[in-house]
Amino acid sequence: MEQKLKGLVEELEAKLSQVKNANDLNLLKAEYLGKKSVFNDLMKQLKDIPNEEKPLMGKLINEAKQQIAAKLDDAKMEMDRKLVEEKLKSEAIDVTLPGKSSNVGSKHLLSQVIEEVEDIFVGLGYTVKEGPEVESDKYNFEMLNLPKDHPARDMQDSLYISEETLLRTHTSPVQVRSLLENTNQEPMKIICPGKVYRKDDDDQTHSHQFTQVEGLVVDANATLADLKGTLLFVAQKLFGEERKIRLRPSYFPFTEPSVEVDVSCYKCGGSGCSMCGYTGWIEILGAGMVNNNVLRDAGYDPDKFQGFALGMGIERIAILKYGVDDIRAFYTNDLRFNKQFRGK
Amino acid sequence: MKVSMNWLKEYVNLDPDYKKLEEAFNLKSQEVAGLEKLVDIEGLVVGYVLTCEKHPEADKLHVTTVDVSDEVLQIICGAPNVAAGQKVIVSKVGVVLPGDFKIKKAKIRGIESNGMICSLEELGVKEFDPEETGIYVLGEDAVIGEDPLKYLNLDDSVLELDLTANRPDLLSMEGVGYDAACMLDLEIQTKKHTYEKRKEENNFSVYTDTKDCKAYYAQVIDHITVKPSPSWLKARLMAAGVRPINNVVDISNYVMLEYGQPLHAFDYNRIESDTIIVRHAKTGEKIVTLDGQNRDLLEYDLVITDGKKPIALAGVMGGYDTEVEPDTTKVLLESAYFDPTCIRKTSRRLDLKSEASSRFEKGVDPNKLIKAMEYATQLFVELAGGEVVGDYSFFDNTQKDPTRIDITLEKLNSVTGHTFTISEVESILKRLYFDYHKQGDLFKIDVPTRRQNFYGYQDIVEEIVRIYGYDRIPTTIPATPTTGYLTKKQRLRRTIREYFVNNNFNETITYSLVTQKEAVEFDQLTADTVVIMNPLNKEKDTLRHSLLPSLLNILQYNQSRKIDNIFLFELGRGYHNGYEREWLSGLMTGVYTSTLWQGKKEVSDFYLLKGLLESLLVKLHLEDYEIKKASEPLPTMHPGMTADLYINKQYIGYLGKLHPQKEMDLGINKTFVFELDYDKLAELYEPNLVMQPVPKYPSVSRDLALVVDRDLEAQAIIDQVIFAGKKTLKDVSIFDLYQGDKIEPDKKSIALSLVLQNPEKTLESSEVDQIIERILKHLDKTLNAKIR
Ligand SMILES: [Zn+2]
Repeated sequence: MEQKLKGLVEELEAKLSQVKNANDLNLLKAEYLGKKSVFNDLMKQLKDIPNEEKPLMGKLINEAKQQIAAKLDDAKMEMDRKLVEEKLKSEAIDVTLPGKSSNVGSKHLLSQVIEEVEDIFVGLGYTVKEGPEVESDKYNFEMLNLPKDHPARDMQDSLYISEETLLRTHTSPVQVRSLLENTNQEPMKIICPGKVYRKDDDDQTHSHQFTQVEGLVVDANATLADLKGTLLFVAQKLFGEERKIRLRPSYFPFTEPSVEVDVSCYKCGGSGCSMCGYTGWIEILGAGMVNNNVLRDAGYDPDKFQGFALGMGIERIAILKYGVDDIRAFYTNDLRFNKQFRGK
Repeated sequence: MKVSMNWLKEYVNLDPDYKKLEEAFNLKSQEVAGLEKLVDIEGLVVGYVLTCEKHPEADKLHVTTVDVSDEVLQIICGAPNVAAGQKVIVSKVGVVLPGDFKIKKAKIRGIESNGMICSLEELGVKEFDPEETGIYVLGEDAVIGEDPLKYLNLDDSVLELDLTANRPDLLSMEGVGYDAACMLDLEIQTKKHTYEKRKEENNFSVYTDTKDCKAYYAQVIDHITVKPSPSWLKARLMAAGVRPINNVVDISNYVMLEYGQPLHAFDYNRIESDTIIVRHAKTGEKIVTLDGQNRDLLEYDLVITDGKKPIALAGVMGGYDTEVEPDTTKVLLESAYFDPTCIRKTSRRLDLKSEASSRFEKGVDPNKLIKAMEYATQLFVELAGGEVVGDYSFFDNTQKDPTRIDITLEKLNSVTGHTFTISEVESILKRLYFDYHKQGDLFKIDVPTRRQNFYGYQDIVEEIVRIYGYDRIPTTIPATPTTGYLTKKQRLRRTIREYFVNNNFNETITYSLVTQKEAVEFDQLTADTVVIMNPLNKEKDTLRHSLLPSLLNILQYNQSRKIDNIFLFELGRGYHNGYEREWLSGLMTGVYTSTLWQGKKEVSDFYLLKGLLESLLVKLHLEDYEIKKASEPLPTMHPGMTADLYINKQYIGYLGKLHPQKEMDLGINKTFVFELDYDKLAELYEPNLVMQPVPKYPSVSRDLALVVDRDLEAQAIIDQVIFAGKKTLKDVSIFDLYQGDKIEPDKKSIALSLVLQNPEKTLESSEVDQIIERILKHLDKTLNAKIR
């Protein structure tokens, strides 16, 4: 009996090695473990053997049956594994073939810099004001302490639509409008971004259209020191936390005193290089304390209010930060240029 | 302003290292444009020509021996005027002349030459003596072996200042001297001028009938000789960037540079009367100016007349008829104060900007009128051999008192945010040479007339802070708290930019000024144009209405550079008479996305553009929109492929394909464009986000295939499905469209997918059947739509 059982297991193993597919395996399973299997015959033969041997024999038969069942299961698992493997193999792709391609979208570099500047000032408690680009001489010049025939009007050659209207030469008229709108004379912190125009022929460094952001703070006690602190904060946010600033006297009719603001060169750190003309400093913007005439014209009592203003050219900031070498590139919109600034 | 260092040293005791002065100007006054030597040549020496023989091999060359003190050099010289016994300027071997011309030892036709005898031209200072031809011969008193530049007074350095409009005081050497003295904390040495005059009655009189000439001084000087100026004077003028002419002109210019007061010399004998009357010009009057131009005068022009006719354009240019000529022997010297605005208007109109006019139009110092005239008179005596004819004639209504400005220490400190002390302020005022009286913390300051444009305490703050140093002002942040934010309209711009950028579009920014033709193309509003009166050129003389012409130019530009797939958008304004409108515009052409090896390609077309805009509207919660066939498409658009967009029943703009003719004209590929009214979009944009419950019960989908008339718009079917489906209908979409030989020629088949859902319970299949039945009946009745 024992020999026979052993033979059965060996016979199965031999047959398993011949199995080709799931069907073969199922037939084999029916042959050994089904209702008409060899084990049924063996169980029937069990009643012919002596009683005392029955438990042992029964045990041996069951063990052989379990052994065979386990081998069949293993074979089944192995077959499944192979199937999956084959499927995976057949499904494998060439991952180096190109993916879906599309145009690379990009935000205009000037928009990016405007948004950056806006965010810095909004963080400091400023709101953003806008106004018309076709402006009256009154708001663009006269209310900014620039009466007609003022020599400083030479500084700004303007594009006129009529004697009294022109394309604004700066965004300062928005400041005037904002002062006039602020009828309760609440403390005010605003910036005015936008397009401005000058009668300049376009070349590498000049553009008849460009973008400015001007800032204005008016309240009872805004000081020159506040202006300096604000400028330092903005310069560091734009050009790096290690930057220093330097103020030099200048002249704008709407501020008094007026200053030019230099930032320490971000390329050489201030030791001098070609970027900064070997001075260690780069001019970035103009600023000053609001001229009392401007406050007075807007209906503010200069004895009760004071403030400061600042103005920067967005193109200049972009040129400095991104090494753009021709101001016309911002307006040409050569997509090979625009797309370079896609990810920021 | 070009500042001669030698000249400035007459006013202040300057450190020979000018870097300190340069830095002081940069940080406390005016930007320095440059600091350079007047003649930047090292190593020139005075030489004495011992012998001068003809070169044996060349007719035009001379072989000379030149004593340069420490040696005798053999030099070949080509100048015709070289001769033994001359003192000359010698460049020894190794000296570098302008143009990077290095003097080397050379053999010229077999004879050695060890240097060069120089002309003024070779030194780059031809205007020092324009008459000179050949080498420059120095005077007998030149010392052999010494620096010839020093001998000629050309050993100078020039500091160039970029002046701002508020500092006309720096248009004079005296003014620069005051500023330098103040910044460097030095004493200033001012000058005094004296001369002898003939005791004789002066018969010349001066008048005016206008307040625009506040003062006029006239001094007659006789027996002058017009000749070249001495070298010191020429060198000073050259350092200042003014070309030397002759002693008369040079003296006027020199004194103007010294004191900022322009002067004019008339040829006395050419004035046809003994009276000068300053008045405004009369209509129709003319004058021939120094430059020979015949000028038509206007009434605001100020003129100097001889009582009858203009003899000079006041402050702007002298008259041709009374000009000083080489044979002039008697001059009338003018020192006057003319109204700045008058001078500015005239010089601008005639485009005559001179050293004189630019000083008059910024306002000259009334306290320099006499001093300048006296200095010039002295120089006429000294340099032109003149005799002064009696006293000057004059009238003078100028305000000569200082400007009184009050400021308290408290005001200074509250404006600057810094705590100045009384003694700091006093020290700065003293350095500025401003007189003041102190009452407690109040300063009553007398600003001298040499500093014009002082109106209030802010001007004093400016002076004190710049001299004190901006670097010593603290840095603080405004104390008053305010809330910073972007408005809805400003935030929406950013959302839209992000949307288009994420959908593969490139943002552009283009010029607002376009051609007249472009300005009104694609115009959705009125055809009024805003035209520039003084345009840069014809290409940019009108403000645009629509952004699309600019975008199409960008498309053309890029397409001609072999970029075929172009997706652009821009947010910008259109300009009309009296108002501006902001547009959101864009265009697309070419392949939008592709996986070519899989045969997949998404090409720009109407429905791709429509889908992009619809998704944007959904993103912005502007779901109540309609896109309809354009009722009146613009002539530049394809009439069959253009649609209007309405949001909440308001017209917002359009989208569609360009007219094929327009594409042909521009030479561009098939292009789809849109232009939406951003102002309205921003107005309608009201995201009101309140949570809606997510449905608890499942939805059911059903598909329908309908046969309808071929020209029935899809939207009409969808509208009726929505109407009949009532609340249970959640969504309807079109998933197939067929027109062809399997159905009647005037019909099309359209397949719809419907989504039904009841928020209260699960829909039974019988209920779904009922609803579908209802919809079908309704479609049949209203649209004659049959189930296929
Ligand atoms: Zn640097």
